[in-house]
Amino acid sequence: TELSGDQDFQLFLQRNLEFTRKIRGDVAALQRVVCDTLQLCKEDELLLVRQELDIAQAPLEQCHRRTFQAETCFSQIRAGLRIYGGSLATIQALLPGHAGLVETLQLDMANLSSNIQQQMEDLGLATVTYPPENQDPVPTFSSHFHHQVGGFFILANFQRFLETAYRALRHLTSL
Amino acid sequence: GGTLGCASVAVSPRVVPLGSAVTASCTIQRELCHGLEQGKVRISWMLDNKLVAGSQHQGPGGTEVSNLTLPRFNLTQARLFCCVEWNGTKQRVGVAEIRAGYPPAKPLNLSCVLNLSDYGLTCRWEQGTNSHLPTSVVLKCTGSGAQAVTGCTPRGGHSHCTVPRQLLQLYRQMEIWVSATNALGTAESERLCIDPMDVAKLDPPTLQSIQSIPFQTDCIALAWDVAWGTEHMELQCELRYRAPEDSAWALVTGIIGQAGSAQRCGFLFGTQYCFQMRCRRSSATALASWSEWSPVRNYTTHEKAPAG
Repeated sequence: TELSGDQDFQLFLQRNLEFTRKIRGDVAALQRVVCDTLQLCKEDELLLVRQELDIAQAPLEQCHRRTFQAETCFSQIRAGLRIYGGSLATIQALLPGHAGLVETLQLDMANLSSNIQQQMEDLGLATVTYPPENQDPVPTFSSHFHHQVGGFFILANFQRFLETAYRALRHLTSL
Repeated sequence: GGTLGCASVAVSPRVVPLGSAVTASCTIQRELCHGLEQGKVRISWMLDNKLVAGSQHQGPGGTEVSNLTLPRFNLTQARLFCCVEWNGTKQRVGVAEIRAGYPPAKPLNLSCVLNLSDYGLTCRWEQGTNSHLPTSVVLKCTGSGAQAVTGCTPRGGHSHCTVPRQLLQLYRQMEIWVSATNALGTAESERLCIDPMDVAKLDPPTLQSIQSIPFQTDCIALAWDVAWGTEHMELQCELRYRAPEDSAWALVTGIIGQAGSAQRCGFLFGTQYCFQMRCRRSSATALASWSEWSPVRNYTTHEKAPAG
C-alpha cells in the first residue's frame, strides 16, 4: 500500500505518535510508583525471580526495521495493546491506590488500538475486531512478592513494546 | 382524563403549537355522579378561571357529552375544567392540562474545550428562543463508524455539559452535536467534527529563569517548563516582552516548546523588562487555542561596561 505523502495518513501518524508518547508517560508514571512504593526499580536485580514467572510478552518483530511490514506491524501493535491491556488487571490489583491512572491507561490503549484499526480500514487493510471484554486469563502468582515482580516486568515489557511501536510509527512518517 | 369517575375529559392534542386550535370533550356518566341523579345535566367549561362555551349532546349509554373548540390557543399553559351545574353552582368535575409552545430552536454556536487534568470535554452552546415546553437537551457524540451515544446531559437548564473521558476517542475525528427534543419536534445543532485533542486547553508554560548570557552582551537566555500533562506534546510557543515605557509588546514566535530554553538579543542595557510566554500544540489544526500567557516574569538587564 502506497502510504507516503497521504495527508490523512501523515495526520494519523502525527496524532498517534503524540498519543504513544502520552501512553509511554503514563506507563513511566506507574513504573515510578512501583519503584517508590515497592522498591522494585532495576531489572537486573530481578532476573532470577523472573525465570520463575510466566510474563506475557507481545511479539513485534514485524515492526523492527529489518523485517518491517506495515500491515502486520499494525496488527501486532493492536494485538500487543490487547495483551498488555489485559495484564493491567495485575497492576490494578497491585496498586489499588492508583486505579485512576490504570483506568486512564486502559482507555488510552483502547483508543490507540481503535485509531489504528480505523486507519487500517481506511487504507483497505485487513483488520481484526476484538470483543469489547478481554477474556485473556489474568496471570496468577504463587506469592505476593512474585505478583509484585510480575507487575514490574509487565510494565517494563510494555514500555519496551511502546518504544518499538513508537519507532515504527516514526519510521512510517519518513516513508 | 377526568379526576372523578363521573366525568371524563379528553383533549386533543395535549400539546399544541402556540396559536393553533384545541378540541376537548367532556363525558358525564350521571349514574356515577352522586347528587346529579335528578334533573338535567348542564355541562360548562372553565379555562383556568375563565368561562368558555361548549356544545352539549346526549352520548351513548345515557351519557351527556360536551364538545369544545378553542380556535387559537395562545396560552403556554392552562388547565381546562369540565363543570356541571349543581344547586345553582358550577362544580368542577374534571380537568385536563393543555400546553402550547414551539418546536425546539436549533442550538447554535457549539464549541468544546478539552480539560487536560481529567480529559473531560466541556461543550457549550446557545439554546436559542424559548419553546415554552418541557424540552430535553442532550449532547451526542460519535467516533467515525461508531454508533452515536449521549455524551452528556446539561443540568438545570444550562447549555453546557462535560463528556467524560470514557466516551471520548482521543487523537481521532469525532462528531459532536446538540439535540433538543420536545412534544412538537427535535432540533439539532451543526455537527462539530473535531479530534478532542485539537481543542485541548493548555495551561501556560512557567518561565523558570532569565539571565544575561553571554555576559556583557545585549542578549538574554530564558528557560521555561511546559505545563504538566503536555510533556508528550509537540508545542509551538510565543514569547512577548517589553520595557515599562514601551507601549507595545515585542513578540517572538515559532519557539519550540520542548526546547525548554531560548536566547534573544537586542535588549537595552540596565533596563527592566517583563516577559510572558504562551504555547499551543503545533500539530493541532486551526481550532487549537493558545494557552493563557504565563505569569509575568521581570528581569533587569545589566549595566553596559564602561568603554576604554
